[in-house]
Amino acid sequence: MSTLQLWGQYLPQFLAGLVVSLQLTGAALVLALALGTLLVLARTGRIRILAAIATGYVEVFRAVPVLVLLFTAYYSLAQLGLRLPGFWAGVVALGAFYGTLYGEDMRSGLQSVDPGQREAAVALGLSNGAVMRRVVLPQAFLAFLPPGTNELSNLIKDTSLVLTIGVTDLMFQANAAAAATFQPMDMFLLAGVVYFAFYILLSRILARWELNVQRRRS
Amino acid sequence: MHVVALYWQAIVDGGGVDLELTAIAVAVSVVVGILAAVGRIYGGKLLGGAITVYVEIIRGLPPILQLFIIYFGLSQFQINLSSFSAGLLWLVLYGVGYAVEIFRAGIEAVSVGQREAADALGLTRVQALRKIILPQAWMVMLPSLMTFLVLQVKNTTLLYLVGIADIMYQARLGTSATEQPAIMYGMAAIAYLIINLTLSRIGSTLERRQALYR
Amino acid sequence: MSSDVVVDIEGLTKRFGPRTVFEDISLQVQRSEVVAVIGPSGAGKSTFIRCINYLHPFDAGRIRVLDHELVGGGAPPSKATLRQIRMQVGMAFQTFNLFPHLTALGNVMLGPMETKRVPASDARDKAMALLTSVGLADRAEAYPRRLSGGEQQRVAICRALAMDPEVMLFDEPTSMLDPEMVGEVLGTIRGLAAQGMTLILVTHEMQFAKEVADTVVVMADGRVVEKGPARDVLEHPTSERSRTFLTRVLKPLETVEDGQEQGQHGGQESGPGATTALGGDHP
Repeated sequence: MSTLQLWGQYLPQFLAGLVVSLQLTGAALVLALALGTLLVLARTGRIRILAAIATGYVEVFRAVPVLVLLFTAYYSLAQLGLRLPGFWAGVVALGAFYGTLYGEDMRSGLQSVDPGQREAAVALGLSNGAVMRRVVLPQAFLAFLPPGTNELSNLIKDTSLVLTIGVTDLMFQANAAAAATFQPMDMFLLAGVVYFAFYILLSRILARWELNVQRRRS
Repeated sequence: MHVVALYWQAIVDGGGVDLELTAIAVAVSVVVGILAAVGRIYGGKLLGGAITVYVEIIRGLPPILQLFIIYFGLSQFQINLSSFSAGLLWLVLYGVGYAVEIFRAGIEAVSVGQREAADALGLTRVQALRKIILPQAWMVMLPSLMTFLVLQVKNTTLLYLVGIADIMYQARLGTSATEQPAIMYGMAAIAYLIINLTLSRIGSTLERRQALYR
Repeated sequence: MSSDVVVDIEGLTKRFGPRTVFEDISLQVQRSEVVAVIGPSGAGKSTFIRCINYLHPFDAGRIRVLDHELVGGGAPPSKATLRQIRMQVGMAFQTFNLFPHLTALGNVMLGPMETKRVPASDARDKAMALLTSVGLADRAEAYPRRLSGGEQQRVAICRALAMDPEVMLFDEPTSMLDPEMVGEVLGTIRGLAAQGMTLILVTHEMQFAKEVADTVVVMADGRVVEKGPARDVLEHPTSERSRTFLTRVLKPLETVEDGQEQGQHGGQESGPGATTALGGDHP
């Protein structure tokens, strides 16, 4: 069968795989942002022990490969009695790792805000909450966006790791099709086209969004 | 506990394989990366454009897919690479894609004034690069180079998929023999932790040492 | 007399770790009085003025601001007290510190809307009126990035004025400005003085201090070395320390004053701007 015919035949399966990849990305992103927020709160907060735990967590989870985290979430936790379905093991592993990155991005975003800004807001009589909400966070967000969106496109690529635990994402579909057709290059190229098209689309959208946010404020 | 004692040596052997591959791949990709970065900045539209596209592809495709294209994909054209060569080739191709960007950013971070000063002295472009720009860029690039090194160590985890006997391969082998994944992947995690934390320590020591010269 | 004292400072002492920034500073400021704090850099002037609205806590002494009492050393004042003080005491900073993500108008509207729940339309009217009074009505929709330093500082002053403060603090409001923009900001401050606003300002503009201030306080080496009516202190300093400081600062000024270059604000300062409303010299 010609490559194009094959592509036509397998495209629906690949797109179904892409949907799984995107669901995984979305769920892992939510977990990572929540965890990142907690890590920032813990690290900037007053409770020493929490700050130390958060710092330790970041050090360790940044140094361990995602695949090891994934196998831990899938196999090790099961052995210890917590049996996660593959999809959720993927969410936990990716969220646990990307949470450290997002936490760091948020922290440097907050640190990038000039202390004079806080001072000026406080001098106006704004409450602590209002200082954060109206003055610090809007500026920190702007600084957070570029690394944050970069992290997101890495996250999408890393979802492909769940192939190893049998989650039927895009990479899994490609691998299955490669084995079934004996034309691995054709199938992996199709997967590449889908991933790449999505990558380009997403990075364009995110870049435009970033530009918009920046332009609205200058 | 005897499981740990039994398999620790295998994990250490796997770590050796990982480090060997990382070292070779990083060395090659640094050299090629510098050349490609220079090509991207000074190489004109065609060369610069080609390098940009290459970088985008490496950054846009999932690592697993890249590895599978090299190992399984090429076999469709009767190019059957050994596990080791496929793994190494991928680490190099991937590494070059990252190193280009690191060196480009480093070179461009050196101020235009420095480049002008080098031109004004009558240095050739290669001389300016070697004597003026790269020594300054080094400081800027050091953190990202260390991140890159750690990233490559982590990337070696994928190599078990093509049958290279790295840490992950050993941990999986151990798991199927003992049915103790918690211990096996725990050992793997510790092994990576030791390697990567050591690398980051070396990196921050170097940074501090470099900062003294400024 | 004491009934009209709006800021009463007694024995104020501030330390950073083992270093004493200033010690035992006392100062009474009457309603509508203009106090200029001068002195060599590093004398603790900026830290001192920041104690008045408690941006910096202090270690000993007390400050009474309007009806509020701040005491050094012990527990910090309640959040409510602090917010009250800050709502009644406006401040302009050396580096302006405008909020970069808000327009000039947005900067001026923020305070009343957040702290007093003023409806947006009212806040907007008031902000526009203030910006108009400093000659910036046409810059209302501009973001700080697009404004010159002088424009930014005038917006920052409006931001503080939008809260209807009873006292205004200025921390070296012109020292980050290009020379040609100093005049417009000083004009605005002069307008405030003319309207009877109580002003405490840290400044290096001796000529301006001489003209506008009622009282000059000279700080050096962490203490007040001289305090009195502006003209007396600046022209006939009695303390040795303030004499050395003033000869160093005033000498170059006096020589320039005879020359032509001084025209940019020397001229404005004696011009009509001195008595008209806010920044009247900048239509």
